[in-house]
Amino acid sequence: MVFNDLKDNKVTSGMVEIGRGLKTVSQHMLRPPVTLEYPEVMPDLSKRFHGRLTLLTKSDGSDLCIGCKACARVCPCVDLIQIEMHRDSAKKPVIDRFTIDMGRCIYCGNCTEVCPVDCIKMLNDFELADYSRQALVLDKAGLSLSGEESDRYRQTHGLEAQV
Amino acid sequence: MSMATEQPTQSLPQGVYLEKDIDAGELTVNIGPQHPSTHGVLRLITTIDGEVVRDIEPVIGYLHRSKEKMAESRSLFQYQPTIDRVEYLSAFFDHYVFVTSLEQIAGLKVPKRMQYVRMITMELNRIASHLLWFGTFLLDLGATSPMFYAFRDREKIFSLFEQLTGARMMYNYYRFGGANADMPEGWLEGALDFCDDFEQRIDEYEAIVTKNPIFLDRTVGVGVVDAETLIAHGVTGPTLRGSGVALDQRKDNPYCCYDEVTFDVPVGQNGDCYDRYLVRMAEMRESLKIIRQAVRQIPGGDTADLMRRRAEGDEAANDIELQIAGQKINLLTYKAPPGEVMTTVESPRGFLGCYLITDGTPKAYRCKWRGASFSNLTVLPLLMKGRLFPDLMAIFGSIDVILPEVDR
Ligand code: SF4
Ligand code: SF4
Repeated sequence: MVFNDLKDNKVTSGMVEIGRGLKTVSQHMLRPPVTLEYPEVMPDLSKRFHGRLTLLTKSDGSDLCIGCKACARVCPCVDLIQIEMHRDSAKKPVIDRFTIDMGRCIYCGNCTEVCPVDCIKMLNDFELADYSRQALVLDKAGLSLSGEESDRYRQTHGLEAQV
Repeated sequence: MSMATEQPTQSLPQGVYLEKDIDAGELTVNIGPQHPSTHGVLRLITTIDGEVVRDIEPVIGYLHRSKEKMAESRSLFQYQPTIDRVEYLSAFFDHYVFVTSLEQIAGLKVPKRMQYVRMITMELNRIASHLLWFGTFLLDLGATSPMFYAFRDREKIFSLFEQLTGARMMYNYYRFGGANADMPEGWLEGALDFCDDFEQRIDEYEAIVTKNPIFLDRTVGVGVVDAETLIAHGVTGPTLRGSGVALDQRKDNPYCCYDEVTFDVPVGQNGDCYDRYLVRMAEMRESLKIIRQAVRQIPGGDTADLMRRRAEGDEAANDIELQIAGQKINLLTYKAPPGEVMTTVESPRGFLGCYLITDGTPKAYRCKWRGASFSNLTVLPLLMKGRLFPDLMAIFGSIDVILPEVDR
């Protein structure tokens, strides 16, 4: 009887519930932290991560891109990828200019999906902040990886070797 | 409300002044567009009389990005990544409606395995979205800890998504007729681990919040609305289910593989903020059930198994139902046949629809989005009339509006 009174009493039941909440909250003190000390500890990113764009090169460091402009055509941000190319006397494509404005890129990965030679790919690099917008417009030299780096990338991502 | 009656001693600088009799007792207050509790950019023109809200008028459009018009100037594949931004808290649902609309028009077949992947990702996404609602709703009511706990668990879902799609919120993963890649090895196990872990976490949440006397005082009997009013305003989702109507697209009109799993549709009784809270908490548990069943039933099982079977030359492992796309289409030149279709799914906020018209060109002729948040927002003035000002955040939080989906 007395017990029932106590149970129906808003004050006592409220105190019981608050006590239960406090108990649950204080249990968290004994658990390991879930946060990362970010600049010192880098997050573990997957191979599929959508980060900074890059152009892979052949093993000897020469251009892999054939200038087909497929990447530019599927990019949702119109005119973001700009490519200028011509063909030399042997009808081989020569890329004169290849710029990507990383400040406007939405990191969707469409371009990486349609490239016929697996040239344009994404890195795990996400620290792209800069002081000026112009610094985010990357040209061919800024985008390209060296031959060895490209080989390493292809190895870790299971892509075919390009010689 | 007191006001200075004596004349200002200093003469005011020249300019235009409003001469308004504010002694009438009513005061117009602008809440937002930049206000932490509006969860986005919403402006509420509120007329208050003391502490009582007399009228409230939502002003929307601050986040308009012309998503529908963009569809008309981009090819279908080019448009797809921008859909993530229609409703960024549950982007898988947006992709799902868009992709299924086109699949229906073009008659593309989706392999069973990919349908299961879609179902698992959508349910995980529902939990992530409800978790964000849970954290912010309670933060608005003055509880800080749930916010951190919700973000901790949401982070686990996001790292699963990051392994699968490469992005945490803007996935761009589904493709016409499938998806762009199979799951990474061991991903399903990660999803199961999350389910086991989250089962205990959600018990903890309930221990902190569900019976807390302060929370009860702020939500029970607040924002009561009956089902007829909600239906008349086109409100769907947990807000409608909180008023006792078991309307759920997953049950009534099973898409994907929802007819192959068992789950319940939780409904409330009183239609107040507390019931809407209970419905969403119960829905997270139901989502866990769906994920568990889907992981058990997925054709082909884990990718590691499937790859091994393929390497061993097992013919059955190359079945069409286990591929990543039913039919390989050239994304660069794809032209959908002319057609017109409307698809709706049950997003975390209600019916999410996409009305797509194609005319045989690479672009869509028209792409209309039906966002649940827009209809849900229309009942806010009704619920707020005559309520106390502090109830605004409880009521607004409980109908779970997300502004990018309102404005698109
Ligand atoms: S990632 Fe997307 S937005 Fe960025 S360049 Fe590639 S296609 Fe364009
Ligand atoms: S799709 Fe590939 S090969 Fe073609 S232009 Fe782009 S980077 Fe070069």
